Amino acid sequence: MNDKTNSLGTTNWEWEIKPGTSWWNISLAELYSFKDLLLQLTRKEFLGLYQQTLLGPFWALIRPLLTVITYVVVFNEVIGIPTGGVPPFLFNLIGITLWNLFSETFMQTSNTFFQNVEIFSKVYFPRIIVALSTLWLQLILFGIQLLLLVAVYLFCYFSGLVDFNAGQGLLVFPVIIITAGIGFGGGLIFSVLTAKYRDLLSLIQLVIRLLMFICPVFYTMSMVPQKFQWLAHLNPLSALFEYFRFAFLGIDNVNAIQLLYSFSFMVVIVLLGIMLFNKMSDKLIDIL
Amino acid sequence: MSDIVIQAENISKLYRLGTIGSGSLRRDMQSWWERNVLKKQNPDQYIRGGKKVDTSEVIWALKNVDFELKEGEALGIIGHNGAGKSTLLKILSRIIKPTEGIVRGRGHISSLLEVGTGFHSELTGRENIYISGHILGMKKSEISRKFDEIVDFAGVEAFIDTPVKRYSSGMYVRLAFAVAAHLEPDILIIDEVLAVGDAEFQKKCLGKMNEASSKSGRTIIFVSHNLQAVSNLCSKALWLDKGSVCARGNAKTVVNQYLSTLQKQNWIKEFHTLNEAPGNDFIRVLYTELTPHFVDALSVVDIRTPLTVKFRFYNASENILLAVGVHLFTISGECIFDVSHDSLLYKKGIIEGECHIPGDFLNDGSYYISLIFVENSSKQLYYYEACLSFEVADFRENINWYGKWMGYVRPKFPVITRQTEIHD
Repeated sequence: MNDKTNSLGTTNWEWEIKPGTSWWNISLAELYSFKDLLLQLTRKEFLGLYQQTLLGPFWALIRPLLTVITYVVVFNEVIGIPTGGVPPFLFNLIGITLWNLFSETFMQTSNTFFQNVEIFSKVYFPRIIVALSTLWLQLILFGIQLLLLVAVYLFCYFSGLVDFNAGQGLLVFPVIIITAGIGFGGGLIFSVLTAKYRDLLSLIQLVIRLLMFICPVFYTMSMVPQKFQWLAHLNPLSALFEYFRFAFLGIDNVNAIQLLYSFSFMVVIVLLGIMLFNKMSDKLIDIL
Repeated sequence: MSDIVIQAENISKLYRLGTIGSGSLRRDMQSWWERNVLKKQNPDQYIRGGKKVDTSEVIWALKNVDFELKEGEALGIIGHNGAGKSTLLKILSRIIKPTEGIVRGRGHISSLLEVGTGFHSELTGRENIYISGHILGMKKSEISRKFDEIVDFAGVEAFIDTPVKRYSSGMYVRLAFAVAAHLEPDILIIDEVLAVGDAEFQKKCLGKMNEASSKSGRTIIFVSHNLQAVSNLCSKALWLDKGSVCARGNAKTVVNQYLSTLQKQNWIKEFHTLNEAPGNDFIRVLYTELTPHFVDALSVVDIRTPLTVKFRFYNASENILLAVGVHLFTISGECIFDVSHDSLLYKKGIIEGECHIPGDFLNDGSYYISLIFVENSSKQLYYYEACLSFEVADFRENINWYGKWMGYVRPKFPVITRQTEIHD
C-alpha cells in the first residue's frame, strides 16, 4: 500500500492534510481570503440579534441605560459613593460602557466553540474567523453605546457640567483597543476550555460578575484603601477604566506605566489565546 | 486532464470510546500530573506513533485508507453505516485531522456534508444565500453573479425575502442545495445530500453533479446509499468496511460486489434434524433456499433476475390433502402475492417443492417470503413466517433518472403508443 509514495516526486501538491497540530499556523493570506465571510458572519449575528424584536438595535442602548439608572440609585443615592463633582449618570455610564465592551467581548468570544459546533463539524474555514467576527460585532455594538455616551457627554458639556480636552479625548482609542483585546484574548482561551469542560460556562458568568466589583467601574482607584492599592493595580483592567474616565472627564490619577502594563498584558493574552485556539481547534472537533 | 489532484495515503483515524476526555478538569489534571510529573504509564492512553494501544478503549474509524483521483474523475464511496465513510469525508474536508497518514492535493476543495450549513433560520432566503455561500467558500462577487441562477434552481423566487424558518422543509432544502450546487471548486465533496427532496429535485441535483464532473471537469467525491447513482455518476468507487478498504476500482464492479455480499445473507436455511427444524406436530421445514438465476456474470439480484424458491419439509400426517402456499411481502409488510397449488394427497415423509418468480417482475427493494401449509384447502397447519429475505437491486439502462421507481412490481408489460394524426 505504500508504493504510491514515489509518485510524490512527479507532482506539485498545493496542500497537505497531516496529523498533528501546531501552535502557530495562521496564514494571513488565508485569513484575508475569508474577509467576506468575516463580514457576512458579523452581519448574520447582528441581524439575527434583532429579528422579530420590537426595538431592534436600540436594545444595545437600553441595557446600559437601565444598568446606569440602577447604579446611580444604588451606589450614588443609597450608598453615597462620591463622583468628584461629575454628574453620577455620566460617571457611571462611562464605566459601564467600557465594562460592557470587555465583558461582552469576553463572554461572546468564549462561546465560539460551544455555539458553532454545528458549523465547525460540517465545513472548514479558519475557525478563528468566527471569533474575529464576534469581536467585530461587539465593537459595532460598543460603537452604538459609545454614541449614547457621547450624546450624554455633549449634553453635560453644553450644560457646563464638565470640561472637554481634545488631547485627553484621543486616549479613548488605545483604551478601547486594549480593553477589547484583553476580552478577546481571554475569551479565546476560555472558548477552548469551555468546549472541553462545560461546567466552566457557568463559572465564567460568575467570575465576570465578581470581576466587575474589583474593577473601578463605579468607583475610582483613589477610593481604594492604601493597603489594597497594589492589588487593584495588579488588575490590568484597572488602568483602562481610569484612563477612559480621564479621557472624558480629566479626573482620576493616570499613570503611563499602568497603561503600558495593560497593553503588555493584552499582547500576551491575545497571543496566548490565538495559539491555544489554533492548537486545540482541530482536536476539539473530535470531542465536541 | 489526467493529473492526480488528490491523493490519500494510509489515512487512519482513531477515536477513543466512551466519554472522550474525561470531561472533568480534575481527572484530566490528575492524569496529566501522573503522566508528566510522576512519569507513570497511563493504561488508557494512546501513544501517538508508539505501539501501545489499548484496543478496548479505542476504535479505528479508518485504517490505512488510500486512494488517488485524477482531475475530472468522480469517486463514489460506499459501505454500511459506520464503515467510516463520513469520517473519511471529514478528513478530506479538513474538518478533522487524521491520526495517521497524509492527504495531498491541488486546487480548492468545497465540501457539502450537510444541507444548509450555516443557515440562520431567522434571516431571509436572500441573506442565507450569501451566508451559506460564504461559509462554503464562495466570494461575494461570485454569489452576486449567480444569485438569480441559485434562486431559479431552488424555485423560491416568491419567498426570497421571507425568513427561511417559514419555508416548507422542501423549500429550505432546495435553497440550501441550490447554493451548494453553484459552487465551483476544483474538488467537490458530497455526503448523502441527495437523500433529501422530492424525486424531481433529486433528478435536478444528480443532473447538476453529472454536469459538474463530465462537462466542467470537476473532481467529485461522493458518499451515497443510492447505489444506482453511484454506479451511474461515478467512474470509480471505494468500498469501505469497518474503516478499511474492501474493494476499489470501476464503480459498477465495486457496486455489484458490494450488493452481492449484502444480498447473500438470508438465501438459505437448512436444518439437519427434525427437532431443530422450525414447525410443529404436523410440519417440520427442513430446508428453504432462494436461488437467483443471474442474467450475466454479475452475482447481483436486480429487477431482471428470475428467482426460484425451493423448500423441503417433513409431513407427519398420513394420507393428507396438503397444499403449500408462498407469500411474498415487502419489508414493510405489504403482501405482493399469495400463490399456491391444488391440494394433493401425500403420505407421511419428506416433500419437496419450488416456486419460480420470473425476472422483470419485482421492483427494487427488500422482500421476504413466508410459507403456508394448508390441509384440505381450509385448515392452516403451519405458517413459516419470513423464512427467506432478499433484496432486489435496481437496474436501469439509458435512463437519466435515479429516483425511486414507483410501484411494488415492475413488470415489462408492453406500453404501445402510435401517432394517429400529424398536425403541421
